[in-house]
Amino acid sequence: MSFAVISVRIQYEHDVVAARQRTRQIAQALGFEPQQQTRLATAVSEIARNTLVYGGGGKVEFLVEGTTSPQLLSIVVSDKGPGIPNLDEILEGRYCSTTGMGLGIVGAQRLMDRFSIDTAAGKGTTVYLGKLLPRRAPLVSAKGVSEMTERLAREKPKDLLAEFREQNQELVRTLDELRRRQDELISLNRELEDTNRGVVALYAELDEKADHLRRADEVKSRFLSNMSHEFRTPLNSICALSRVLQEHTDGPLAPEQEVQVSYIRQSAESLTELVNDLLDLAKVEAGKIVLHPVDFEVNKLFGALRGMLRPLLAGVSVNLVFEEPRSLPLMYTDEGKVSQILRNFISNALKFTEAGEVRVSAQYDDADASVVFRVQDTGIGIAAEYQEIIFQEFTQVDGPIQRKVKGTGLGLPLSKKLAELLGGSVSVESKVGIGSTFSVRVPKVYSLAGHVGLVEPPIQVEPSRLPVLLVEDHDETRLIYQKFLGSSRWQMIGARSVRETENILRNVRPVAIVLDIMLQGEDSWNLLAKLKSNRETSSIPVLVATTADDRGKAMALGADAYAAKPLTAAVLLEQLAAWTGVDLTRTVLLVDDQEVSRYLFKQLFSQRGIRFLEAVHGAEGLRVARQEKPDLIIMDLTMPEMNGFEAIGGLQADTALRHIPVIVATSRTLSAEETSQLAGRVAAVLPKASLSEHGVKRRLRAILTQAGLADLLPDPKTASQTAAE
Amino acid sequence: MERIPILKMGSFLLVTVQVDMHDQLAMNLQSDLTDKIVSAKARGVLIDISALDIVDSFIGRMLGNIASMSRILDAETVVVGMQPAVAITLVELGLALTGVRTALNIEKGMDLLRASIG
Repeated sequence: MSFAVISVRIQYEHDVVAARQRTRQIAQALGFEPQQQTRLATAVSEIARNTLVYGGGGKVEFLVEGTTSPQLLSIVVSDKGPGIPNLDEILEGRYCSTTGMGLGIVGAQRLMDRFSIDTAAGKGTTVYLGKLLPRRAPLVSAKGVSEMTERLAREKPKDLLAEFREQNQELVRTLDELRRRQDELISLNRELEDTNRGVVALYAELDEKADHLRRADEVKSRFLSNMSHEFRTPLNSICALSRVLQEHTDGPLAPEQEVQVSYIRQSAESLTELVNDLLDLAKVEAGKIVLHPVDFEVNKLFGALRGMLRPLLAGVSVNLVFEEPRSLPLMYTDEGKVSQILRNFISNALKFTEAGEVRVSAQYDDADASVVFRVQDTGIGIAAEYQEIIFQEFTQVDGPIQRKVKGTGLGLPLSKKLAELLGGSVSVESKVGIGSTFSVRVPKVYSLAGHVGLVEPPIQVEPSRLPVLLVEDHDETRLIYQKFLGSSRWQMIGARSVRETENILRNVRPVAIVLDIMLQGEDSWNLLAKLKSNRETSSIPVLVATTADDRGKAMALGADAYAAKPLTAAVLLEQLAAWTGVDLTRTVLLVDDQEVSRYLFKQLFSQRGIRFLEAVHGAEGLRVARQEKPDLIIMDLTMPEMNGFEAIGGLQADTALRHIPVIVATSRTLSAEETSQLAGRVAAVLPKASLSEHGVKRRLRAILTQAGLADLLPDPKTASQTAAE
Repeated sequence: MERIPILKMGSFLLVTVQVDMHDQLAMNLQSDLTDKIVSAKARGVLIDISALDIVDSFIGRMLGNIASMSRILDAETVVVGMQPAVAITLVELGLALTGVRTALNIEKGMDLLRASIG
């Protein structure tokens, strides 16, 4: 009966140490005295070393044999090495080791009670070591052995080397994997680069083509507009001369001649119409058409159209019906252009309708805040395949009726272009023989940026600024106010309508409200009254800025100030300053080595409330700028110590100074390189020669307005028009 | 790399073996010690093995080698603090450690060294 305790693998030198330490632990646990523990450990150390050195590694097994006292501790050390060729010599002590003391086996034999060796060439060696447990030691049972095994397993000495080795191998594997991936990436990258080069080349080609097209288009537009002008002059002469002839100023015409002249005049007039259409188209394409958005009502537009088109109805058996528009909002867009589009549609409809009616209607579409105008006829209709091309220039559908009526083929393309200019679109629905419906969709409110209908981003009140609510429906005016407030202490929050204002007031409490009275399709008198009667909002000061001349009414409703539009920067800022107690004093830093230049600038800003700081070179300028944080810096370029370029670089590098607008004033002519160096870093470059010119103030004002510093140099003309309470 | 520290005390070197040395560590100590004897111009080496529970033939041989080498380098070696069980086992193993001078503890070892150097 034997109980296996543990076994220790011998693979590295450390394992020899581990084996002898294990031996000591087991011997101690089994009740051997310290002297015996040392003997056992020493013997195991000798044999284990032989196993490692000669056998190439093996294992040491510990067993407890027997169930009666004294039990035997049996240690089996085995390897699969080449065996021991001269065992007899060794055992007789005749062998002389070249590596050790030649004592291992013999010594171990002396230290143990039992010792035997099994060895065979090529089959390995097994050494059996045995030591009887002391008589006084308690009997070891199977349970005791398993407990001991567990305890020993827990105390397993850490084989650092093996652990290192394992981790090392892991590392090597990971590195290999990484290298493989890197190779893959490199090849992938190379592939991508190649593709990229191809794409870049293609892009360049495309760019070139686009450029060609753009140029060709431009040439076409220019040609059209020039030619049209050239055509118009002789045409006008022909018309005028034929009229003279028809009026018999220089003697009467024969009846036949009368007819001939009237044909000449008709032809000339139709040619003029053609040229006019061409000219319009060329203008649209060249972007030269200026839109004049105004507030208007659709039924008034319909009234005007009815009057204008009456002559066309003479001798035609077609009814022109304008449906009375219902619940349409006030529109703010270019009325003339809308009218032009509708005139085109209607005259087309009349041309191609032989009998029946042409019906004009308008409808408001809530979904995208647009008005859709429809011109419906009962004419010949347009086949599906032609519905696209009729909006292209110089196309006309071929057919008997088409041939009968004259036309330039430019009306629909022009309508399309105009509708797009207004931010809208045109479309057609048609069935051959039944009729066509042309529609134009025009946004209710024309907006510069064309962003009507977009969802506005939520309002973010910057913590360092005071919110000012600006109720103004006109985009451009709002933009101007935004410029006025610029980088000042006040942050503008815009609202277009009463509803929007109320929404904003629910979330933001402004320090002041600037209120326009005439809004799209509504006025804000009620809003003003409501603001002032509500306990929560009554304390917010309101500046009424309007074209409606009704100061008394505004003040009676509780307005705190009244100003006629247009509002100037000075009026707005001073009013806000008075209400919010913000110091309006502006600081201007003049960096110039010439005293005369600095003086000239100070003269330019001949206005109270501006503090001037002066510096004679860039380094000083930078230092003053850091200290004082001016609102504006005027910088010369050629200076001693540190020139303007370096100083501007220094300003750019400082996050606290980067946002300060810089105007470069120089008498140098800048090279292209210098200009590009300054581009984006300074607000403007002002030649010093222009300081003596007449328009310099206007120019400077434009620059300052752009930089959000309009109040530095207010316009004296507009300033006198407005007044604040 | 594991090393057994070697301390210099005047003209003596003091080595205190605190861990159960594996063979390579023992070999390292042997070469380190000979180098140090030369660089420090040491006249004596004191090796304290009081912490060792086991001294087998390999470590025994290493101790003997150190003694012989340092003698050639004009330094005396004294091994001190050997546990009785270790001494008994060494003798039973057949290892006499001839040429290695021993002392019971460091104090006595020092005296021995001073006396031999004169």
